[in-house]
Amino acid sequence: MSAYKTKGSVKERAELALNDDFLRKAVKFTTERLRIGKMNAAEQHGNWEEWRERGRQIRLHTIAHLDYYLNLFVENARANGVHVHFAPTGAEAVRIALAVAQSKAAKTVVKSKSMVTEELHLNHALQDIGVEAIETDLGEYIIQLAGETPSHIIIPAIHKNRYQIAELLSKEAGEALEADTTILAGFVRKKLREKFLEADIGMTGCNFAIAETGSMVLFENEGNARMVTTVPKTQITLMGMERIIPSWTDLEVMATLLPRSATGQKLTVYMSGITGPRRTEDADGPEEMHIIIVDNGRSNQLGDPEFQELLNCIRCGACLNACPVYRHIGGHAYGGTYSGPIGAVLTPALQKNVAEWDDIANASSLCGACYEACPVKIPLHDMLVYLRRRKVEAGHGKALETIGMRGFGTVAGQPGIMGAAVKLGQLGQRLVVRDGGIRLKVGPLKGWNKYRVAPTLAKRSFRQQWEALKRETANTGQTMDPVVKARMEAILKERAKGGGGRHG
Amino acid sequence: MAETHQELLARLERESRAKQEQFMNFIAGKLGRPRVTAPPQHPFRGAPDFWNALEWPLEERVAKFTENFKAVGGQAIRLSGIVEAGAFIVSKAAEMSARYIVRQDQQSLAELGLESLLPEARVSVWNEDPNEDWKACAAEADFGVVLADYAAAYTGSITVLSDKTKGRSVSLLPTALFALIPIERLKTRLGEILSDFDRAGRENLPAGIHFISGPSRSADIENDLTIGVHGPGIVYALIIG
Repeated sequence: MSAYKTKGSVKERAELALNDDFLRKAVKFTTERLRIGKMNAAEQHGNWEEWRERGRQIRLHTIAHLDYYLNLFVENARANGVHVHFAPTGAEAVRIALAVAQSKAAKTVVKSKSMVTEELHLNHALQDIGVEAIETDLGEYIIQLAGETPSHIIIPAIHKNRYQIAELLSKEAGEALEADTTILAGFVRKKLREKFLEADIGMTGCNFAIAETGSMVLFENEGNARMVTTVPKTQITLMGMERIIPSWTDLEVMATLLPRSATGQKLTVYMSGITGPRRTEDADGPEEMHIIIVDNGRSNQLGDPEFQELLNCIRCGACLNACPVYRHIGGHAYGGTYSGPIGAVLTPALQKNVAEWDDIANASSLCGACYEACPVKIPLHDMLVYLRRRKVEAGHGKALETIGMRGFGTVAGQPGIMGAAVKLGQLGQRLVVRDGGIRLKVGPLKGWNKYRVAPTLAKRSFRQQWEALKRETANTGQTMDPVVKARMEAILKERAKGGGGRHG
Repeated sequence: MAETHQELLARLERESRAKQEQFMNFIAGKLGRPRVTAPPQHPFRGAPDFWNALEWPLEERVAKFTENFKAVGGQAIRLSGIVEAGAFIVSKAAEMSARYIVRQDQQSLAELGLESLLPEARVSVWNEDPNEDWKACAAEADFGVVLADYAAAYTGSITVLSDKTKGRSVSLLPTALFALIPIERLKTRLGEILSDFDRAGRENLPAGIHFISGPSRSADIENDLTIGVHGPGIVYALIIG
């Protein structure tokens, strides 16, 4: 259902999104609603910074000891009667899931929301062996019918309006359904009820896995994940290998951070902890339960000081809602399974091919709103800079940009040339300045001026004013404490020796 | 000859055990150190200390639970005893013309006396006949009646644990859910409940632990809130005592 090789660059896909008026408005409205919901929830709960820090510490600790906790989880899950499998690659995970489905002679699989299965394109693979895979989250079901991919991690069908949805569902119903939310949702409830009851396999993702008891935890609002883990006889859970937390006690912190950050809820309507298949005497729950632990590029981040914290992500989507770029272009423009700031970093990181996804890292203004929104404090904006640096180091920078930067370096590095260049600019711009700005859409100004107005050069530059400023300020203000002055001069000398410091 | 399902499981099991060491060693290698096999120090376990000290008095717990549960579209009512709860459910059954009720097999739910109070309706007790398809029964039911194992006031959540007398389906498949909460089971924080599962340990956990905080909902169509998408759209929390 998803376009694995997404066509064009982020810029081209963003152009498409920017032209789609409804999408832009819908994304803006939804992200604004979720963002404000999150802010209110965090404020109402109080001590948000302490909670974030605690969440970060728990995630850092678990990832730093991932071999221990994952192994503990595996042993406990096995003791609970779960069939645990390891999939170093996506292909391996698909192979195992298909083997089980085939052996069970499954006709249908009902699925609850799982980003990992999106990553693996598992629905396609199931289809290929003649198994119908049905997404049961309302939004996922809608986009599955449309043959599209999620455009938001929490609200996947954010880009569809009710008329489009009514059209899709009417085709499924074989009759015209009114474009009314209650009617549409009612139809899906009835339709999927039948599917739940007849499905051979229930397939889920996993929000958290509790190492000490081998339990898996799901957060959801609709009840479809409960359906998928209660009704079919076989359950297959696909789990990213980093989903681990040590204990139920730690789950309180995640349960505090995740729903509030995702939707502003105090807790999702359902939080379910599943510990193994049904007990022999139980009358519901799966008889057979599989957990497939997926690496698929996650281990690329382990031991990498710049990117290891990516594994702390709890998939709440708060960074999407906070991101000014995401809010303008929507999720599809990112082209991968994960969108927004987390997607911009995670997609190249998981694929380990910076070249192919080189433009994603540029779909950010580096404003840091994603970091501020992140409930586990992942420094996404720093990671975007690291990605850009790696891209340039790997020789994927733009030749023109490099030449331009080098040119600027030459000019700006010599006061005489710089002064002359500024003067030339001040003279030259008289031809193009209108209403205090430059609107010319040619040459290097074309891209910038398409949606913006370039500022003019000041009539007199700071350097040109400097002599006058120096005279004016010569006898005013306090003189510097000689001790401080000496210390600063010493620092300057030190820096000159070291050949340039670091940006702080 | 084709592999039987049991043979497949056995083969996958062998594969899994063979890969496990490799998988863990690979992670340790990536982390740049030998395998960690002893439990590491975990100084930041659970919620911050200031939070763990929070405990509301009973009346505040009831008030906050009620407020939170109502805020998400659920109903919360405090009743003095089981008899009142029975009368309440009966009145709702009449109001909504409920024809079929499934309840968990619990002593206090038997004391509701629904069977005798509702002669018109069919009342089934979960798993009373092992030959019945109980999931289908729950799916048919208008009302599901359960006894909460815990509740948390701060988030407005009901906790239900599964076993042979307590089906997971009863709180999930019927159109309306009635959950009785004995007042002494109403805690302040989620953490008070979750830490019990750590204390109980793996061997003693049920297959299903479910926190329910209101009616099933979705905002997937144009952000328009829809209630009762897959789970019950009507949820009554009856606080008893």
